[in-house]
Amino acid sequence: MMQCGWPLMGPLRWLHYVNKEVKVRAGKGEEHRGWLLSVDPVSASVVLVSFGEAVAVRVVMGHAVEAVEVLRAAADDETAKRLRSVFLPPPSPCLDPKELRQRRDAVRRWLQENRIPVEEEGEELKVAGVLTIAAPYSAHACRSSNQIILDRIQRLIGIQDCTNQGLPL
Amino acid sequence: MATPVPVLRLPKGPDPNSRGFDPNSPRFIALCRTSISSSAASDSDSEQLQKEQDARSVLREGFLRCLLSMTNKKVQFQMYENVKVEATFGASDIDVLNFQVSDLHTPIGVQKEALIRCQDVISFTFDV
Repeated sequence: MMQCGWPLMGPLRWLHYVNKEVKVRAGKGEEHRGWLLSVDPVSASVVLVSFGEAVAVRVVMGHAVEAVEVLRAAADDETAKRLRSVFLPPPSPCLDPKELRQRRDAVRRWLQENRIPVEEEGEELKVAGVLTIAAPYSAHACRSSNQIILDRIQRLIGIQDCTNQGLPL
Repeated sequence: MATPVPVLRLPKGPDPNSRGFDPNSPRFIALCRTSISSSAASDSDSEQLQKEQDARSVLREGFLRCLLSMTNKKVQFQMYENVKVEATFGASDIDVLNFQVSDLHTPIGVQKEALIRCQDVISFTFDV
């Protein structure tokens, strides 16, 4: 299998291709066009998006890439906006400040009931000094670099969400 | 007199203190020949290394979000030797060496659970 230089280019050069429309030649004469969303730095795999009836994503494995050619160097505003939001979770419905505060207090009390140290830090909740919960205080809104604590807290908040189906989330 | 049986020593397990990223670990050498390490140029220049690491994390996050959005969706895999298969995506391992899939439709039947070797895959596609 002949290997071109693609996997060896490195993250800085791959970054230049992001948000550009490219044509990727791969495998045995396959050609794929699309907007380049990202390149996996571990496997050099190319993530391409095309907007048709549905949003179609094609990932070309790094080891199979033979050539990458830039077709369009810049996306228009509309496309750039769509590219940014392809893999983001759908935006959560906006709650008014009063409901958000109620929600935050409910989550704080639930964590305290479960003997978990939690403090209010501005609008956010800080859990055990290593995990932050921002609005709307759902399991998805938890941020931490500690996987184990993240998983535990997400499950805990998830339980609360299930039992409180009546409350706005 | 019976001949003494040679004692077999099992291979040493992975280092419990690292996460397998040690390029000198036996696992890495055995499995991750194709994994890409940081460029030689960045070894001597810490600013360059920082820029490279920033780029690396942005790119990896984008890729991981792609994998996340693929979970439980139908994915078509284009493999070598003109083989096309469809399956429901489950998970990937950290080095993107194997994909765990369910309901793999192959020419000889449907496999309930399977591991697809990424080295055999040219590309794969799915609808968001």
